[in-house]
Formats: sequence, C-alpha cells, structure tokens
Amino acid sequence: MKHEWADHRIFQAKDGAILYGVDHASLFLVDSSVQEVISRWVSEPTVDLSKASESDRDVLEGLRDILLLKPAGSAKTWPPVRFDPEEFPMSTMVLEVAQDCNLRCTYCYAEGGSYGGQARLLDSETAREAARYLVRESGDLKDLTLVLFGGEPLLNMPAIKAAVLEAEKMASAAGKRLLVSLTTNGTLLNAEIVSFFRDHRVVVSVSLDGPPDLHDANRPYASGKGSYAKILSRVRGLLENHTAAVAARVTLTPDQWSRCEEVFDHLMALGFHEVGIAPASPISKDLLPDLEQEKVLLQSFAAMARRFSRVAREGRILPFANLIELLGRLHMGQTKAVACGAGYGYLAVDAAGEFYLCHRLAGEKGFEVGNLETGADPEKIRSCLGHVTAGKDQMCEKCWARTLCSGGCHYENHLRENALGIPPGSSCNFILSWLQIGIELYADLRHAGADKLLAQFEKRTGC
Amino acid sequence: MEKKLMIKALNKKAEAVETLAKGESKAVAALLESGTELQMPVGCTTVFDTGWETNPRGTHPIGNCQASVRDFMGCSGDCWWPAQTPDGLTNNTDYHEVCSNMARDWRTIKYD
Repeated sequence: MKHEWADHRIFQAKDGAILYGVDHASLFLVDSSVQEVISRWVSEPTVDLSKASESDRDVLEGLRDILLLKPAGSAKTWPPVRFDPEEFPMSTMVLEVAQDCNLRCTYCYAEGGSYGGQARLLDSETAREAARYLVRESGDLKDLTLVLFGGEPLLNMPAIKAAVLEAEKMASAAGKRLLVSLTTNGTLLNAEIVSFFRDHRVVVSVSLDGPPDLHDANRPYASGKGSYAKILSRVRGLLENHTAAVAARVTLTPDQWSRCEEVFDHLMALGFHEVGIAPASPISKDLLPDLEQEKVLLQSFAAMARRFSRVAREGRILPFANLIELLGRLHMGQTKAVACGAGYGYLAVDAAGEFYLCHRLAGEKGFEVGNLETGADPEKIRSCLGHVTAGKDQMCEKCWARTLCSGGCHYENHLRENALGIPPGSSCNFILSWLQIGIELYADLRHAGADKLLAQFEKRTGC
Repeated sequence: MEKKLMIKALNKKAEAVETLAKGESKAVAALLESGTELQMPVGCTTVFDTGWETNPRGTHPIGNCQASVRDFMGCSGDCWWPAQTPDGLTNNTDYHEVCSNMARDWRTIKYD
C-alpha cells in the first residue's frame, strides 16, 4: 500500500526532536535516526513501504502506526466540518451589567466601558430575564457559566445580585450547576461585595497591570489620576477573605512587553493566586506592535517558560495562566475546528438585552445576533461567523498550527483586518512562536520527568 | 520492537494514537486472549472516540454516550468529535487511517 505524509512539524529538543502531528495535535519524541529517515523521505510524494530498505521500513512503519503516514489519496484534512449554531444550547452567557466605567484605560476596546454608545446600566429585571434565558435555553447541559462583565460591573451591584440570584434559583430548579465569574477593576470592592462573592462562589479576576508606574500609566481614572493606590487598598480584602483563587488579569501595551517578569513577580507578591498577561488589542495603529516589539514579548514569554521549567523541577506549577492554559491543551492534545465558542452556546448580552457574538464584539452593530425577547438568531450567528472566518480556511490549510489555533480570535482579526485594514495573517507569526514555546516547554517538562505535575492539567483542562 | 524506542509518545493524544496502532496490529491476538489486552471494546469500535453507548434522548448528538454529548457541547470546539464508528476489525480494517477524524473524513469510508 502506498502512503503519503500527514502534516507534521519537527522541533528540536534536549534529548532528540519533537515530532508534532498536526491532525491530532499528537506530540512524540523521536531520535536522530527517525529524523534522518524523515528528512530523506519527506519530499517523496508517496511512500511505498515495500521499496524501502529494511531499516528505513522499520522507522516508516513506526511513523505509519502513529498516523504520520496515511494511505495515499486519503481525504484532505482541512477545512474542518463547520458546526451549526442551532445545535448548541446556551452554555455561557456574558452579561454586560454596566456599560460604563470609572476608569479610562488607554487600551480599552469598549470605549470607556460604554462599547461606543451611551453609558448605561443593565436594569435588574433585564438581568433576571437574561439569567432565565441562559438556563431555559441550555438544553441538557449540566454546567452553565454566567460571566459578569462591563465596563466596570461593580458600578451595578443591583443587577449583579439580581442576575446571580435568579440564575442560581433557575439552575438549581433545573438540576444544573452554575459557575459565576466576574472581572473587575477592583476600585469599588468593599467588604459587603466580597462577602457576596464568597457566599455565591463568584470567581473573580482583577485587572491590574503591575507596579504603580506601569498600572497608573495604563489605567487612570477619568480625571487622569492613577488607580493603583485605591485598588491596592481594596483588593486586600478580596485576597484575604475570598475562598476561591483570585487571578490578576494584566494588559500590556507593546512598549511594556519587556516587563512581563517584573509584572508577574509584583502581582504574585501582592498575594494573587494566578497571573495572566494579555497583549493589548490593537484598537488603534499606536497599539499595533512592530516585529521588534513582538520579538520582545516572545522573549518575555520564553523567559517565563524557563521559569516554569525551573519551578516544575521542584514539583510546583508557576501560576502563569498563559502557560498553564497552553500546556493543558498540549498535554491533552486538544484540537479545535473553530477558534472559540462564540456563537456556539456562548453569547454576550448588552445592557439593552441585545445579543452579540462575544463580549469583545458587544456594541458592534454588525455582530448583533438577536435579543432577549426574540432569542438568538442562528441565521445572524452563521452570517457573523462566516464574516469573521472568511478566507481563513485557505490561509490556514498549510499551517502546522491550524488545529491548535483555528484562525485566532475573531475580535482581534476583526480589528486588524476591518478597522486597521491590515491583510489577514498579521498575528500568525506571534501565535506560531508562542505555540512553539509551549511545545518545547512541554517536551522539556516530560524530559524532566514532571509527569505528576502534567497530570494535574488533565483535571483542569478536561476535554 | 526497536522502533518503539525510536518514537516515544509525549502527550495524551500521542498515547491514544499509539494505543490505537497497537490495537490494530494485535487485533487477532487480542481476540484470542479474550480481549483483555486491549484497552477498548473489541469488535464494536476501535478508535478512542466514544460512541458505543447510545444516548436515548432526542437531542443532538443523537445516538452517542453521555460523555461524548458533554464533549460535543464543550466550548473548545471539536476536541473529541463523537461519532458512531465503523467496525474496524473486519469490514473497515484501515478505518483509522482513512478516517482519522470522523467529523472531517467520514466521506472516505465506504459503508457496506
């Protein structure tokens, strides 16, 4: 039987090479003899095992067994089958409880929290209605997620309480589990709010960008005054009294990307349980990184990977959320046919009760996909998804990372391609390099025998 | 065999792929040994996708097991596409090769 090569990629590792099978996101360690056989055969359009020398055949059969060689003429592997949004019940609702904010972060994609319209707060009855919609439309799902978002959600505690209590009541009556999460800037936290979060097991992330100079430059009040000092005094109560882990959510602009390690250390010293760092979305050309800045960010993340590796050798996990998430997916070998869940059971609801494809696209009229009254409109969802993914299949077809990335964040692509007019693919280099950092770290952790530590990811990642 | 030393599975998916290969090449021996050697049901489905316990409910995906329903509805896309898989021991012996991903490659299977 003649075979042909399945897409794969080879990365160098300490004790051999890492062979990555694209279709299954499978990772193998191979020695130099395998690498040598691959390099001799890889340019052959078809591989006839009966014509290979005995030693080559041994290796090639091994590669066939791990599905790196497949029968000639097998089906094309890309694009993947697209799902139908109608087949997905609601699983996650992001509720924009306050489309207003007391801060004016320099990189805010929600235009001061309002998402481009008038500042407004979700009224409590709409909040309850949204909570009922989430549970009612969740089909047979047992686990539901309600995300309280903004703007600054704590500007509207009445709606938060209304949504959480209603969702809890409805979920409990339907025998479902409810996870509530919330992202806040921390300026309005107080003992009563912290106690509500504790009682209702709300998972809280605080947006904090690091040391005072950096944070205050990014996240000033509308008056221009920095917000660090205020947050610090208020977040302690949360860190000391909350039973769930509290994560710090960092956003850095391109000129700050060399400071990732410093930011991580600062936030861990404050008592956060986990830190995740996101590069600011390029809402304007000023925030669009050049190649040199991208390189700096990758170097910073590579430095975090080296630290992760050192700490793992002591049997601990470095609580750097970016790597934890990536390693979890690589460990399981999760592949994706769609970039994210937006439109597939995941929707954002704004203060007027209108549905949007995701929280980051809220307020963008072209991404409105229904409302609380008439429900989600599958036709609109299909059309929005078609719009944001147009042309990606051809572009991703030859890419080794296609099953890990699947085209990237819709919003990020929308900004770059539609708002800034940049041709598709401008974030590919960064994504590929980041995935490579993760793959090399994963192999390194295996090499170090950190199997127990990696097994912890199985629970966290699920599948 | 020597090749086993040359290629070592690193992640869970790689282990699953290897298990699959072992299962296929030792299918007959495994049957003779009452199937205990295989870590998966023998004679029904041979890939690590679930699909042998049916979901009686009238919701999508119809006909799959509970675990696969959950997977199907997961937000991270198609990490495990649940699908009833053809008999890989007798009628479709090269099933795992021509159809490594049911959601994508199902057209390549020639059902009898």
